[in-house]
Amino acid sequence: MKKYSLIILLAVVLLPSCMNEPTAQPNTYEGNFQSLWKIIDTRYCYLDYKHINWDSIYTVYHQQIPSVTGGIPFFDLMGRMLNELKDGHVNLYSEFDISRYWKWYQDYPSNFSSTLIYTDRYLGKKYRIAGGLNYGTIDNGRIGYIYYGSFSNSFSDSNIASAMNSFSKCHALIIDVRDNGGGSLDYSKQLASYFFKNDTITGYIRHKTGNGHSDFSKPVEITTTAHKTIQWQRPVAILTNRMSFSATNDFVNRMTRAPHAIIIGDRTGGGGGLPLSSELPNGWLVRFSSSPMYDINMQNTEFGIAPNISVALTETDQANGIDTIIERAIAALK
Amino acid sequence: MKKLLLFVLVFFCNFLLYAQNGVEQKYLLTTETNTYGLSVLSLTDPYLSPLTYTGTGIQFGHESRRCWSETNTRLSIQSKLDFEVGLLLNPAQNSNMTYMAVAYSEGLHYKFNPTNGLTFMAGSSLDIGLGYKDVSRNVNNPGNVDLATNLNLSGIAMYDIQLKRRTLRLQLSVETPLIGWMYVPLAGASYYEMFRLGNLSGISHFSSVFNRRGINPRFTVDIPFKRSVWRVGLGYQKLQYTANDMVFDRTETSLIIGTTFDRIHFGGRMRKAPKNFISPND
Repeated sequence: MKKYSLIILLAVVLLPSCMNEPTAQPNTYEGNFQSLWKIIDTRYCYLDYKHINWDSIYTVYHQQIPSVTGGIPFFDLMGRMLNELKDGHVNLYSEFDISRYWKWYQDYPSNFSSTLIYTDRYLGKKYRIAGGLNYGTIDNGRIGYIYYGSFSNSFSDSNIASAMNSFSKCHALIIDVRDNGGGSLDYSKQLASYFFKNDTITGYIRHKTGNGHSDFSKPVEITTTAHKTIQWQRPVAILTNRMSFSATNDFVNRMTRAPHAIIIGDRTGGGGGLPLSSELPNGWLVRFSSSPMYDINMQNTEFGIAPNISVALTETDQANGIDTIIERAIAALK
Repeated sequence: MKKLLLFVLVFFCNFLLYAQNGVEQKYLLTTETNTYGLSVLSLTDPYLSPLTYTGTGIQFGHESRRCWSETNTRLSIQSKLDFEVGLLLNPAQNSNMTYMAVAYSEGLHYKFNPTNGLTFMAGSSLDIGLGYKDVSRNVNNPGNVDLATNLNLSGIAMYDIQLKRRTLRLQLSVETPLIGWMYVPLAGASYYEMFRLGNLSGISHFSSVFNRRGINPRFTVDIPFKRSVWRVGLGYQKLQYTANDMVFDRTETSLIIGTTFDRIHFGGRMRKAPKNFISPND
């Protein structure tokens, strides 16, 4: 009896002691710095692609920690370190601020005026709203126009069917995704599906498989499936600017493979890395690009997608109530 | 002649009655236990966060145990079904995790009694567990699934303490996983890529004591009252598993209360109820 009791007691006591408790950095400036640096070092996907020497960035910013006094200066220091990544998908969220890198569009012309598209020359005041889509006809009813301002705004097949029915007499369609900062990839895929006749491979995605900067999985095909019943098989122009980012970047990438589509405007803002998130010991959330996405030629889409026709919104046109990019699209669709 | 015939009939009737008493039918009882628990829970899931979330959980467990057959009472079959929900917070208490889990197991034990009042049961169990952890503020990785099946080593020790008015049963049960299979996503893979694009590489893992270790001792006392037996106890669970460069950890201490009772089961062609049992199906 003693033997059996001893075996059970030993198992109960010794087995948990064989297991190590999870280790986490302490909630200090040093601990939070180490934690953030390591998350990016092991999980951020563009360090090699962007030729970023993350070790030297460690040196530069680590030596500034002793001079930091207070949570806000520490947050700003961490934010500056993250901005070295030059990535709109990288943010640090605290209870008092969100660090961000916005130069991907702030350093470029906006090429969009929301005031212009709602003038009588274009959508006017009688446009219709179906889900997240604002739509109407332009160019004397010859061209359908949809403004979609966020891929976070939902729409359904019946919303699209309604819009397309109203465009039955139009010979072409414009989908304006300027200033659309992204949202759901599902909506990106869904919106693109209406412009494909057959299921088409439109890109690839990979993810980190290890802590090394170039430890990636094999590319996985991203297929844009053609919608079974709703298909626009006439010319379509996609209007872009630098603020067409993230899921919008994905949509534009898909549309480069659509049979009757043409991309007009400025280069998109990019944001080709699918972001994930993690957190620091002090509870701050960090968002970072984790899974790089590629076009059909296995080229990274992180730095945006070039348009087929590059057009800028001129100040003169804008002053005269003319959207240069829409006008160029109308001309290209004729 | 009539007297002789009457004597023979009475003799054989008595003999038949005696014979029926001699081959008395035995019936298997199933011991059913329903328990409720309140637990202190710590979860580390590096796919969601490198931090350990702590909080409270509530549990419901149903356990049934019966002997293998009327003739083999050394072997017993045990089945368990456990549910748990929990709400946990990160150390900074600015992010919460909701946790839900269900687990089912079937076990087989061999019983032996080294001394009077002491019973040991040793055996194994096969379990399947499904859990979901949700950290809603996360971006594109707001949740993670725990899915695993394991063959466990299992042991139970029971000791009856005779008091003045009742017999208390002390029970210590322990399980530890030996081999199995588990689902663990890659740290850098999003559920979008896994389940929308079908990239399921690197998620399936063979588990053994080298990458999945755990133990869940549970100490209970069964206290018989006039018409019921109540079970109170303490449970502890420690589970740690490693895959895809991540170490997952679960530590739980729980206070358990429940009832245990025996029931008899009739069903099928082989286990028909005797005539003196009344069934609503009759």
